[in-house]
Amino acid sequence: MGEMVVSANPTDELSALGLGSCIGLAIVDRRAGVAGLAHIVLPERHEGGELAKFADTAVPLLVERMRRAGAAVPRMEAAIAGGARMFEMSGGLDIGSRNDQAVRTALSEANVALRASETGGNQGRTVRINVGAGLVTVRVAGQPAVALVGGKRPPRPATSKAAASPTGAERARKWRGPRAIVSTTGAQP
Amino acid sequence: MNPSLSDIQLDALRELANIASGTAATALSQMLARGVEINVPRALALPPADAVEACGDPEADVAGVVVAIQGDIDGLVLLLIPARQADSLCDLLGVEPHTEVGDSALREIGNILATSYLNGLVAMTGLVMEPSPPQLHTDMLGAIVSTLVIGAAGADELALVLDSELDVSGAPCSISFLLLPTAGQISDLLAPLGLAESPA
Repeated sequence: MGEMVVSANPTDELSALGLGSCIGLAIVDRRAGVAGLAHIVLPERHEGGELAKFADTAVPLLVERMRRAGAAVPRMEAAIAGGARMFEMSGGLDIGSRNDQAVRTALSEANVALRASETGGNQGRTVRINVGAGLVTVRVAGQPAVALVGGKRPPRPATSKAAASPTGAERARKWRGPRAIVSTTGAQP
Repeated sequence: MNPSLSDIQLDALRELANIASGTAATALSQMLARGVEINVPRALALPPADAVEACGDPEADVAGVVVAIQGDIDGLVLLLIPARQADSLCDLLGVEPHTEVGDSALREIGNILATSYLNGLVAMTGLVMEPSPPQLHTDMLGAIVSTLVIGAAGADELALVLDSELDVSGAPCSISFLLLPTAGQISDLLAPLGLAESPA
């Protein structure tokens, strides 16, 4: 929660486990073999808050850190998951959908293309990125993972096989095939 | 580790949790006609991310029953039961799991346990705490706990987790209790015990 990680190591797997109202923001540059993941907690940063926790500051920070790792903004593909409303709480403060909106706004301000989203509803989710494959997947409890960005193959954690394979950039080129676009559930106006 | 709470304060909160969970264990034992064991509770004042981590594997499937509380203290009581053990709890009660009746039975167990727990707290502190109807949600542990912790404490405040565990003897069933007061209200819980002031 509130963590952010950027990797150009093709054997890495990045994950944000058990997202509820939080948003898992995954960005990949498949050509450069760079991936980043942020676990965003709330929509707006207040004075003194950690940059990585809040949508309005976490998105530009992740984009900048990926640029420094060799990614280019025009090639970046983003996928988001989470933003659920899991309980009906008095006051009706829906943090999940506010997070969802704030991340979308910040992505468009950063000129990063949003390729897929799996947000809203009342279920928790887990997001994983296989850095070498440039593959982003999402999973809800009791169900298999589905691809958000990076093709139809069933997701698999990075193994030693991936370590023996060529560089992330070469691998990413092979993965250019059809992209699975998973539609948004509920959160779009 | 707990910059805002002293050891004495955490001890006091742990003792509160101990007494409250004792009341809840008695209720559960009467309901199931079986012995119920209580472990030594934990009192943790942690940043939200660490508080979620302290509750267990974030991807584990759990049944969560939430009872929101309002009054002198606002917050919530959360019961976590590993999903499979929730099924065996339904079996013990003679109802089919994953049916309307099964879900209703879990909510009712949550309701009785949470209110017993609150009664224990009220007896100790004299504070008024009104429970609201229970909600049941089965999902990944991390998703349930993080959503509630953030709702109660926000992203930066310390979350107070009072965690105790009940084990039903002769059945694979353990229930964790968490009390999450809304941010800034931890001192209200400590005030009746004469421990509101955090030593500098």
